[in-house]
Amino acid sequence: MKLPTLQKGRRFWWDTLEAYVYLLPTLAVLGLFTFYPFVNAFLYSVYDIRTRTVPGPVLHATADSTAWVTALARGRIPEELSDVLRVRGVDPHELWVRLRQADRWVVKDEASGQEYIIVREGEELRVHQATTGWAMESVGWANFTWAFQDPDFRKALVNTTVYVGVSVPTTLFLALLLATLLHRGVRGKAFFRLTSFLPYITPVVAITMVWAWIYDRNFGLLNYFLRSVGSLFGVEVSLIDWLNDPRYVMPALIVMNVWRFVGYQALILLAGMQGIDREYYEAARVDGAGAFGVWRKITVPLLTPQIFFLLIISLIGSFKIFEEVLILLHGPGPQKSGLTVVYYVFTKAFDSGHYGLASAASVILFAIIFVLSLFQLTVTQRRVHYER
Amino acid sequence: MSEHRVRADAYLLRRGMGLVVVYALLLFTVVVMAMPLFWMITTSLKDIYQALRIPPQWIPNPPQWGNYPAAWNAAPFGIYFWNSFFLAITTTVGDVITSIPAAYVLAKMTFLGRGLLLSLLLGTLMIPGQMLLVPSFILINRLGWYNTYWALIIPWTAGVFGIFLLRQFFKTIPDELWDSARIDGCSRLRYMFQIAVPLVRPGIATVALFKFVGSWNAFLWVIIMTDKVGLRTVPVGLRFFMMDIGTDYPQLMAAATMAIVPVLILFAFAQRQFIQGIARTGIK
Repeated sequence: MKLPTLQKGRRFWWDTLEAYVYLLPTLAVLGLFTFYPFVNAFLYSVYDIRTRTVPGPVLHATADSTAWVTALARGRIPEELSDVLRVRGVDPHELWVRLRQADRWVVKDEASGQEYIIVREGEELRVHQATTGWAMESVGWANFTWAFQDPDFRKALVNTTVYVGVSVPTTLFLALLLATLLHRGVRGKAFFRLTSFLPYITPVVAITMVWAWIYDRNFGLLNYFLRSVGSLFGVEVSLIDWLNDPRYVMPALIVMNVWRFVGYQALILLAGMQGIDREYYEAARVDGAGAFGVWRKITVPLLTPQIFFLLIISLIGSFKIFEEVLILLHGPGPQKSGLTVVYYVFTKAFDSGHYGLASAASVILFAIIFVLSLFQLTVTQRRVHYER
Repeated sequence: MSEHRVRADAYLLRRGMGLVVVYALLLFTVVVMAMPLFWMITTSLKDIYQALRIPPQWIPNPPQWGNYPAAWNAAPFGIYFWNSFFLAITTTVGDVITSIPAAYVLAKMTFLGRGLLLSLLLGTLMIPGQMLLVPSFILINRLGWYNTYWALIIPWTAGVFGIFLLRQFFKTIPDELWDSARIDGCSRLRYMFQIAVPLVRPGIATVALFKFVGSWNAFLWVIIMTDKVGLRTVPVGLRFFMMDIGTDYPQLMAAATMAIVPVLILFAFAQRQFIQGIARTGIK
C-alpha cells in the first residue's frame, strides 16, 4: 500500500472519511449478514445449541394474583385473561392446579401455533407471549467427533465427493468441447447461446420438477429415449427406476447438473477463445501444426484463466447441492443414496434442532472447499498462461 | 498438377465432412439442451392420459389450456407471485443502490484500508452461503425477523458480485471527468449519480438482471426464514404445490412453466446484458 505523503495527508484523510460513508450501507449489510454469521459458524460448531421457549412480551400482568387465583378456584378464567386463554380452550381448573404446583406453564394455541407462558413470581402473575430462546452450552469438539462418527455424515461426504468429482470435470470437458465446436465459425451462435443459457437462469426448483418427470420410471422421457436407442440396435433396455434405485440416484443428479451448467461454461470458454490473438494460430499453422495440435498446444493453454475460474466456481457450486435432492427425491433418497452434506446440515438444524452439529458439519464443508480452492489457486499461479 | 487437385479435393471433402460432424454435434446438443424445457411446455398442455402415452405425443392435440387456470387456482399462486415480484424488486433496488457508491469508491478513490477491503470482499465469494444458514437463522430469530419480509429483504440488499462488476465499469471512466466536474463545483455524490451512473448504465442493467433472477429463484433462504403461506415465494410455493398434488404432471408442468415465464421474458428483452455479464465474470 502506498502511504500518503505529508502534503497529501489532509486530502487523503478526508477521502478516507468520505469513502467509508459511501461504503457504510454495504459494509453494514455484509458485516451483519455475512461476516458476523461467518464467524459465528465457527463459534457455534463447538456449542450444543438448542431452542427453548422463553417468555417474550408481557400481555397481562398483575401484582397481586389473589384475585386471579380465587377466580380460577371457582372455575372461571379471570376477565383480563379470558381473551388470551379462553379461546385457547384452557381449563381454568387445570390452570389453577398448575399454578399452585409450578411457577410457569406453557399454553399453546392450536389454531395459530402461538405459545403463551404464564409465569408466577411470588404474588405476581404474568402472561407472556412465548418466543424462541437459545440455550448454548460449550461442548468442545464433541460436534465434530459426532459428525465423523455418524454414518449418515460419512455417507453424505462420500456422496457429495462422488457428485462433485464426476460432475465438475464432466461438465468442464463437455463445455470445452462445445466451445471448440462453436468457435469453428459456425452459424447460429445466437440461437445456441439462447438454448445453452436457459438452464442456467431458470429456477432450480421448477427445472428439477421437470427432471423428476423426465426421470419417471414408466412414463419418463429418459427411459423412453434409452429404450428407443436400444431398440435401434436390437437391444432390450430395461426400465430404470432413476429416483428409487440407489444405484441410479447419483447419476440422475449428475446428469441434471451437467445439463444445467454446460452451456453457461461453454459460453465463458467461447468468450475466452474469441479473445485469443489470431497471430498465435497463424504462427502455429506456419509451423505446420494440425487442428488438434493447435487446440491442445494453443487454445487450451491460453484458456487456463477461464478454465480455472470455472473449476473453482463449479467446485464451490457443486459442493452446495441441496435443492435438487429435496425436490427430486423428497428426502435423502433410497438407502440415503442422495444424502449430501448440505442436506445433512439442513435436516440436522431445521428438522432435528441440532444447530451445533449442523454448524460443525458446515464448517467441515467449508474447510474442504477452502483447501481445494487454495490448492487450485496455487496451481493456477504456477501453471496458468496469461496472455501478455 | 492432378495430384494437387486430388489433394485439394480431399482437403475440401475432409473439411466439408468436418463441418457436417460439427453441425450434427451442435444440433444434437441444442436438442438435448432444449428438450427438458420443451417437454415441460408440451406436458403442461396435455391431459393426464396424453401425458402418460408411450410413445410420447410431442405436440399435444388438442392442447389443454385449462391446465394453467387449474394449477393457478389449486394453490395461492397469486400470493406467491406477488411475494416473488415484491422481493425481487426490493432486493434488486437495494443492491444496486448500495453497490453504486461502494463500487465507485473502490474503483476511483484512494483511501486507508482500500486493499484490505478489496481482498475481504473478494474473500466473501469463497464463503459458501450454505455455511451461513444456521448462524443466519439464529441471528434472524434474535432480531425478531423470523416470518417477516425484513428477513427476506435486508440481508440481500448488498452483494459483492454487483460491486465488482460495477467497479470494472467505473474504472473505464477517465479521471479527468471528475477533475473538471470538481472544478465546476460538483459534489462527489452528485457526480457519482448524475454523471458516472449514466455512463455505466449497461453495467447496472447487468447487475440488476442477475440480482432479479437470483432473487426470483431463491428457495433455501425462504424456507428457512419463514413458514407462513403468506410469505412463500414462487419456488417455495412450487415445492408445496408438488407435495400436495403428487404426480399430476400436466398441472405440475403448468405451474413450473408459470414460474419460469417471468425469467424468460426478462431474458428475451435483455439477452445482451446477460451475455455481457457472463463474459465479464468469466474473463475477470
